[in-house]
Amino acid sequence: ADGKVYRLKMAETWNANFPIFGDAPREMARLAEEMSDGRLKITIDSANKHKAPFGVFDMVRSGQYDLGHSASYYWKGKVPNTLYFTTMPFGMTTPEQYGWFYYGGGQALSDKVYSKFGLRSFPGGNTGNQMGGWFQKEINSVEDLKGLKMRIPGFAGEVMAKLGAKPTNIPSGELFTALERRTIDALEWVGPSLDLRMGFHKIAPYYYTGWHEPATELQFLVNERTWKKLPDDLRTILRTSMKLSSYDMYIQSYHESAENWAKMKQEFPNIEVKSFPSSVMKAMYDANESLLAEKAAEDPLAKEILDSQAQYMQKVRVWTNISDRAYLDSLDNLAD
Amino acid sequence: MIGIIMFFVALGMLLFGFPVAFTFGGVALIFGVFAEGWDMFAFMPFRIQSYMENTVMMAVPLFIFMGIVLQKTHLAEQLLEAMGKLFGSVRGGLAISTILVGALLAASTGVVGASVVAMGLISLPVMMKYKYSKSLACGTICASGTLGQIIPPSIILIILGDVLGIPVGDLFHAALGPGFILIACYIIFIVIVTWLKPEMAPAIPYDESLGTRSQQIRDALKAIVPPLALVLIVLGSIFSGIATPTESSALGGVGAVFLALIYRQFSWKMVYDSALETVKVTAMVFAILMGATAFSMAFSYTGGDYIVEEVLLSLPGEKWGFIILSMLAIMILGFFIDFVEIAFIIVPILAPVAEALGINMVWFAILIAMNLQTSFLTPPFGFSLFYLKGVAPSSVRTMDIYRGVIPFILIQVLVLVSILIMPEFYGMD
Amino acid sequence: MFLVQFEKTLGRYSLLLGKISALLLILLLINVFYDVLMRYAFNDVSIGMQELEWHLYSAIFLLGIPFGLQTGGHVRVDLFYERLSIRNKAWIDLIGTLIFLMPFTLLVGWYGIDFAKEAYELGETSGDPGGLPARWIIKSVIPVAFFSMAVSGVGMILRCVNAIRGTSEKGFDEQSPQH
Ligand code: NA
Ligand code: NA
Repeated sequence: ADGKVYRLKMAETWNANFPIFGDAPREMARLAEEMSDGRLKITIDSANKHKAPFGVFDMVRSGQYDLGHSASYYWKGKVPNTLYFTTMPFGMTTPEQYGWFYYGGGQALSDKVYSKFGLRSFPGGNTGNQMGGWFQKEINSVEDLKGLKMRIPGFAGEVMAKLGAKPTNIPSGELFTALERRTIDALEWVGPSLDLRMGFHKIAPYYYTGWHEPATELQFLVNERTWKKLPDDLRTILRTSMKLSSYDMYIQSYHESAENWAKMKQEFPNIEVKSFPSSVMKAMYDANESLLAEKAAEDPLAKEILDSQAQYMQKVRVWTNISDRAYLDSLDNLAD
Repeated sequence: MIGIIMFFVALGMLLFGFPVAFTFGGVALIFGVFAEGWDMFAFMPFRIQSYMENTVMMAVPLFIFMGIVLQKTHLAEQLLEAMGKLFGSVRGGLAISTILVGALLAASTGVVGASVVAMGLISLPVMMKYKYSKSLACGTICASGTLGQIIPPSIILIILGDVLGIPVGDLFHAALGPGFILIACYIIFIVIVTWLKPEMAPAIPYDESLGTRSQQIRDALKAIVPPLALVLIVLGSIFSGIATPTESSALGGVGAVFLALIYRQFSWKMVYDSALETVKVTAMVFAILMGATAFSMAFSYTGGDYIVEEVLLSLPGEKWGFIILSMLAIMILGFFIDFVEIAFIIVPILAPVAEALGINMVWFAILIAMNLQTSFLTPPFGFSLFYLKGVAPSSVRTMDIYRGVIPFILIQVLVLVSILIMPEFYGMD
Repeated sequence: MFLVQFEKTLGRYSLLLGKISALLLILLLINVFYDVLMRYAFNDVSIGMQELEWHLYSAIFLLGIPFGLQTGGHVRVDLFYERLSIRNKAWIDLIGTLIFLMPFTLLVGWYGIDFAKEAYELGETSGDPGGLPARWIIKSVIPVAFFSMAVSGVGMILRCVNAIRGTSEKGFDEQSPQH
């Protein structure tokens, strides 16, 4: 290997010092620099510097930045097929999805979508299962979803809309006031790891468990030209750093969620944690299926990705059931 | 280093009197291209888009429209005059009314540009009509228009809550005390000044021909009702959950047109003229923001943010030394860079130190918010000053505004110090 | 005389942008009012209508800036400027326009073209349910606005030249705007 130093610039969607999400790219840069003995130097610009949290795709594509840290589903409005590489409602859990991505053909499909734009995308850290959101009122039936004003962006919002809910745009700075004053009835954010910072637990009585983002995976975007100009060893180092820091974020996220959950339950014991009743889950599942069928019918590549995910999930879920689920269920019996 | 030189060059260039917005943009271009090449400006459309999608800023044109309609229909004038009369022979009655109206406006928006400009349109002409000292009038408007940053809802507090990981609700709650004290101090200041120098803020003369005193008070009350109802609609719609704070500004605009209708001042021409004027004032505010975003881009991409970081990392690690020096640092940086940058870049450097020293983070956040609010008022770059200049008649000079805000800056510093030494008084010990 | 005429034509163009912005502002008021009313009274929300709000708002301020330039509505620090003779003011405006305003607006406008073109080529739409299609339209307002600012800049240059040559003092006979 030559001693040439490669200085790469990375833009992240998050503001400076945003916990967990922002830790992943920093850890990646640190690993890459140390493993390469200083030949890879990555500087990270946060959204408050570049001012374009949702311009990361364009800026990495045009080469203004070599790398990006963001989430694939943010680009759904530009490139519809990017939707499928973050998480899907009623989709795979995090280990299942990693299985699909690394060993079940996910990476190849991702390359198929991103290569058209001179980009490569790699996993960038997982939040684990996200919560269904904070609600001002209980959801006991599909009827309760009708007219429910909820901040729930993207594809999950489409699913809710199909059941008569009213997805609503509220700037994040006004979310707290809007939920407190019941301008909206509900909102989804992330999970305990990040929700507590927003203070929603002080103003909304119901915290629903998840359905729409079972395994939210962030992404590292790499400009193809940057990727090609790196020598083989640095490419391996970069790839390894990305993979390791992503894994680390998943663990960190899991840990923080557990910590915050305990804190929340201790300080606010009255928060009611709920799951949607099965009739509601069924209706949302059906709505999701029919929306996915529409997407598959519109675009052969979408169909290819969705089929690949569905087939993989069918196989892997059997294993999840006889391993993790069976184990946890059998512990339940223990407690009886 | 380039960033610092650029700052002083911009300062020098501004003095020539070429429009502020394009002086910022042009200086940024020259330094940015020199240091980083043309390509840096490919970031500009993204930065502009971040303003376009920032719907909270939508309150700017909407509140300005409300202000202009109230001005054109003379409803605002009547409100202020009536309030001034209610204060009767109290000198400075108009200034006190301005502060109160400013406080109400502050409770409905956190966007400084919106409230300073609206207040400038509503109350500057009235104060000038009654021969107020120009600098006192301007200082009062800038200061009360800037109250929006400390009185909830407030953008600074929302961002600080996010950065420091404190629930926004807690911060809103903690900011109420300092906000009220600030309003009270402004009013006390007006009372003292007009007592010492009556010619600065003459009382509205008692005019016998307008009927008896009680008759006049009744008239005054009548004049207060409509605009006050409007303010209540704006605030009420937020508190009842009918509208978000931003949307409430549109209700204010529609409400103003409705009032014009009731008071037979309505015409399509009036609405159109108000809209055209709103566009002009809004453009003035956003042009400055466009220039400033280019400036801060050149500042940070040429390494200015790293210099700032270095300075801060050298602050002492002992409670009072740390607090005092960090407050001074924020105040000085407030001359250079805008509050969003400070909140996102500087506060996170200070936060872990503060936390390690066992400092109450809500208290720390309120101190920072008060401090940043002051930066809107400090010459030469305080945005409030530019905004007021943009809507003031040409007889108001830049110097009048600069001179006028100085006492209010001192008051803010005093209140800041009081929060610093008596947190228990504000319930933040 | 030709320069004075040409300046007038440019002025009419900026004025047109101002008029468009004013109409958009009235639409914005109606838009937001309608959205609040529908949500509160009829429990109905349209993301498309909500997005239209920021489309209108941003078009208003972007197209308003060249209009503001034409009508002298931009803030100056006039500590010294106000005491200068018309000729000297014209010189400052001429030089400022040439070295600050024109390069800045033209460069931003130039990069704005790619920005809008990218959205057009990708067929970019909103990512939210019921959001607006054709993002390129609102994105292309950026280059349009900045090139229009440059057009207003040309108008300023002509006014300055006219004032320096003594042909016309238009634009300098009054100071900052009256409201
Ligand atoms: Na989420
Ligand atoms: Na406020």
